[in-house]
Formats: sequence, C-alpha cells, structure tokens
Amino acid sequence: MNPRVVGANLVVSLKSFYRAKPAMFFTIAFPILLILVFGALFMNQDNMSFDLCVQDLDHTDSSSQLVKTLELEGKFKVIRIEPSVNAAQYTRDNKSSLVLTIPKGYEGAFLQRMALNDPDTSVTLTYLYDLSSSLVFMKIHILNWVFSGINQKMTGVPPFIRSAETSMLARKYRFVEFFVPGIIAMSVMILSLFGTVHLNTELRQKGVIRKLSTTPITRTDWILSNILYQFILAVLSTTAMLLVSYAAFSVSLQINAWLPVFMLLDVFAFVGIGMIITHFTKEAESAAAAANAISFPMMFLSGSFFPLEMMPGFMQTVARILPLYYVNEGLRASMIFGDHMAALRHSAVIGVFAAVVFILGIIATQWEEDQ
Amino acid sequence: MTKKAEHAIEVENLTKRYGDLLAVNDLSFNVRQGEIFALLGPNGAGKTTTVEIIDTIRMPTSGKVNLFGMDVTKSKHEIVPRIGVLPQGFSSFDRITVKETIQYYSRLFSCGNTDIDGLIELVNLKDKTREQYKNLSGGLKQRLGIAIALVNDPEVLFLDEPTTGLDPRARREVWDLMLGLKEKGKTVFLTTHYMEEAEFLADTVAIISRGKIIAMGSPEALIESNAKYLVLTLRSVDEKAFDIVRKMGFESVHDNHKDIRVRVEQMDDVQKILNTIQEGRASLLSLDVRKPNLEDVFLKLTGETLHKEPAGGVAQ
Repeated sequence: MNPRVVGANLVVSLKSFYRAKPAMFFTIAFPILLILVFGALFMNQDNMSFDLCVQDLDHTDSSSQLVKTLELEGKFKVIRIEPSVNAAQYTRDNKSSLVLTIPKGYEGAFLQRMALNDPDTSVTLTYLYDLSSSLVFMKIHILNWVFSGINQKMTGVPPFIRSAETSMLARKYRFVEFFVPGIIAMSVMILSLFGTVHLNTELRQKGVIRKLSTTPITRTDWILSNILYQFILAVLSTTAMLLVSYAAFSVSLQINAWLPVFMLLDVFAFVGIGMIITHFTKEAESAAAAANAISFPMMFLSGSFFPLEMMPGFMQTVARILPLYYVNEGLRASMIFGDHMAALRHSAVIGVFAAVVFILGIIATQWEEDQ
Repeated sequence: MTKKAEHAIEVENLTKRYGDLLAVNDLSFNVRQGEIFALLGPNGAGKTTTVEIIDTIRMPTSGKVNLFGMDVTKSKHEIVPRIGVLPQGFSSFDRITVKETIQYYSRLFSCGNTDIDGLIELVNLKDKTREQYKNLSGGLKQRLGIAIALVNDPEVLFLDEPTTGLDPRARREVWDLMLGLKEKGKTVFLTTHYMEEAEFLADTVAIISRGKIIAMGSPEALIESNAKYLVLTLRSVDEKAFDIVRKMGFESVHDNHKDIRVRVEQMDDVQKILNTIQEGRASLLSLDVRKPNLEDVFLKLTGETLHKEPAGGVAQ
C-alpha cells in the first residue's frame, strides 16, 4: 500500500465528484428530501384525529352533550350532519367512511335511565360505514371504547381492572427519530453500492483501468482509496441529513462513536457487494440493474422506512437475513435508545458480513484483462 | 534481477487464445534498444493482443516475453516503472484537467521530479492545461495520452495505434514526437495499420497477419526483398487500355474503376506500355511511376490490402 498513490486517487475521485454538480446535488439532496417529506407526513402521527360524521336526530341538550364528549376525547374531529339529510347518500357523496346516528328519543331514554334507574332502558346508536376504508375499524374501536366508558360511569360503581402505564423510555420517540437512522443506513448503502459499481464499470468500459494496470497502482491502493472516498461522501451526506433533521424537526438523537462505526461497516459491506457485482456484470447498464435488484428489496424489507412489526411474520424473518437490517437496528439502538449492548451485537453481525463480502470483493476485482 | 540486455524486448513462441480463437500464433521476435519497432497489420491481425501481453496488460496462453531481460508474467512490479504505455483507445477521467491528469499519473509512479510543464510543452498542450479531459478533441486526448506515457521517463514506450482517428496534421505531430523520443534514446514499440507510418518511422517493421508475423526487417529491406519492381499507375484509362496491358502479360489491378496499377520490372517496360496504348488508340489521362511500398509488400505476401476500412477509421 502506497499512501501517496491512495491520496492521488482520492483527490481525483473527490474532484470528479465536486465537478459533477448535478450528481453531487442529488447525492446530498435525495436523502434530505426523503427526510423532509416523510418527516412532515408523519409529524402529527402521535396526535392523529379522525373525521367523524354525526347525525343528531334527537337534537336535545343530552344528545349535544354526547357529541361534545366525543369531541373532547381528542380523537375525533366531529362533522355535524343535518337531520334532514339521508345518511347513506351523504356517505356516498362525501366519501366519508362512517356516519354515527343518534336516534330520536335519546334524551327521553337517557333521563328514564338516570332518574328512574330503569336497567331495561337503553338506546341504540347506529354506525353507517364503508367497509372499504382502512380507517373505519379504528374509528369504530375508539367509539366503542368511549361508549363503554360512559356506560361504566353510569353504573356508579368504580371499575375493577385498572391499568398502570410506565414507558421504558424517558420519553416517547417520534416517527422522524425512528426514520432518520434508517435513511442514514439506506443512503450510505446506495452511495457505496452504486458508487463502486459505477466507478468500476465506467472506468473499465472506457479503458481507464487498462491504462492504470500499466502503472504501479495496486488493487489494494485502488480499493482503499475507493473505500475512503465512499466514506467521505457518507460523512458529507449524513452530516447534511442530521443538520436538516435538527433544523426542521428538532429531532433528539444521540450522536456517539457508533455512528461512524456503523457508517464504515455499511461502506465496507456495500463496496464489497459492488465489487462482486462488477466482476459478474461487465457493462455499466447491467451492473446498475443488478445493483438496483439488490438495493431496492433491501431498502423496503430491512425496516429502513417502517418498523418491522408492521410486516407479516415471514417477511420479518427475511429482514433478519438482510445486512442492512443490522445497520438500521444498530443505528437505532445507539441513536434513539442509547443501548450500547444492542449496538455491539448488531455491529458484530454486520462486521462479519462486511469482512466476508469485502474479501470476496477484493478477490473478484481484476486488473489484468484476460477475456 | 535486472540484467543488461542488448534487446529491450524478447518474444519467444508467444501464443494467445481466446476460447477457440487463436489471436496470436507462435510469435518470436526481438526489439533492439533505442529503435522504433512497428507491428504493422490490418485490424484484427493480433497487434493489440501482442502489445498488451508485452506491456503487462494481458497474460499469454504460452510462450515467453522478456522485457529488460525479465519475464513479464513474473516481474510486473519491476517492469512497470520502466515502461510507458499508450493503450488503444486511450481514455482518462472526464472532469480532470490536462495538468491534473499528468500530475495524477506522475504521483502513481511516485515521480516527484517529473517536469510536468516540460511534458505539456513537448506534446504541445500548453493552451489546454486547464481544460477538462472530456472537452478535448481526439487528437489532443491522444497527445495527453503520450504525455502520460512519458511521466516516468520510461526506457521503452508502447504506443498502440497512436494516430488512429487523427487528422493528417495531428498525425504528423505525433510522428515528430516519436522521432524526438527516439533521438533521446527511447525504445518505441508501435502498432499501426498505416503503412506510411511504419515506413516513415520504424527501424524495424514486423508485418502481422492472422496472428502470425509474415515478414520482418527494415522497411527498405522488406521492400527490396519482397517487391523488386516498379509500380506504374495509369489514370483515367478505358477498358481498351486495360485489355492492352493484360494482353502484354503484365500483372495489373484496378485501383478504382478508372485507374489501373501495373507491376513493371524496369523503366523500359513503362515506355513499351505507353507506346502500345498509344498505337491502340486507347484513352489515358496521366500516369506515375513509383517505387513499391509496404502496402505492396503486404499485398504480395497476403493477397489482401492493409485497409479494409477507410483510412482514419476507428480501429476495433
């Protein structure tokens, strides 16, 4: 290994990157855009409220009180529908997923129950809903929960089962805080994989590698400078992502030594995979297609964007054999939960994987043209 | 270990196969130190494969190649710092300037004392030092390639089709450059499919066809031993003149539909042909007589012309 040669190669790569302005812009801007879009989209996920259409046919103080109770619960934004309107027609016309109807005689029945303590008196509220809406069952679930509370209170007896809730975390993490480590892992993967594939196939196709093979630069110098180059890009891109996340969403993430460790392991693993791809696919186009075929499923299946619990069981098993999963989980363990033991476990898995593919990648990288 | 050798390059029974294709078939030749050696042949003859084995880009299937007395397959690390290579279809980093590219290659060779400005001047790229590679014309790219091949002040220079695709002026500049290098004592190994290039530059020419060397020597000796005749070209002749020449028993070919080339032994034959054409009242606009060249040698030896494609076309 010759540091002078590695340095010369690194300077050429960085100058080429800096001078290719559109490529530089998209390298930095793409993950930032993802963070901004998804962060904004899920910003209020924790205080989510649903639209609820209510048709009050009773139109009395008691029925108005019930509607107010629903509103005060905080889960619903109530839309009042005139009693004269046909609820079924309204649902269709306004694409609303559920209409709650309070029947005429609600107040009469309520007073009879309260004043006369008549257990046989009850009232039936109707839910008219559209099955095809994914949110409708959540709405029904919340409504039933609110009405159970009211029913229980009316009995005048204190509840038997109570619950005590204690969070494992000092504070609840937000979606954007879950999302940012995933995007860091993903963009470092994309940079390293596509960067390596592009660099090697393009330079080989143009004959630059052939020329380099007649100079003292060795395979080790070349690969090492590529690793350094990809790591510098990863640091640039990650810094930009973190700055934007702090500025736009005031995220609370722990930045410690695990961040560069996982970035470096991410770079090694995917530069290794990139080198293996370039061995099997000679043309730049087919190499890029192969890189896509590897990176896209990895992005979606390894939990970069969404928690794994949202996926079916077998997909969760698949995720656990993907290298990116361990980078995601390791970064989250260190950046969100400050769980160093978990970070160590995940780093060990991705570390072994990176070492194996990197060695295979070195073996697969050829200088001599023997075809 | 390096040993002092009279021959810079020694090639013995060199063979290269690509699957079923025999690209280079049992070549043996030597290149003397300080000479310009040209491997001349049409596209696909095996020139590039041969030069790329000698300059360490490819591995031979069998045979032996020694550079400075060292085996190229075993002593690449010792050989590379002493050679300069301009590969066929040379290319470099698109967004790196002329000066930066030369600096980069100079660093690869760890040459702290490369006279970068001197090299730029030598290849006449002074006005383009800050130009990025992608903005250079074909001729300028080729000249940059030669400058890069010289960054380590090599003893032997390999130039694989250095003038393919260049206009006549740019080609002439490259020729002058090569002659200058020879004066400085460099050994130059050149491949080309331009016979005038080999004839003008080379001390030794090896003619290669279908992977085999079919003749080798100085251009003069090759011509002398393979083409002991004069070439008479008759321009704008009619069919009648062509018939007359043929009937007189001379070997003749149509150069295009209006010109014919005739091989004659001596000047007297030219006079005889002219008289007969005149007597037969056949039509003839002009004529010239010249000594044979390497193209004629190649034609005689292989029955093929060197140029299966228009001159200046891109080599495969």
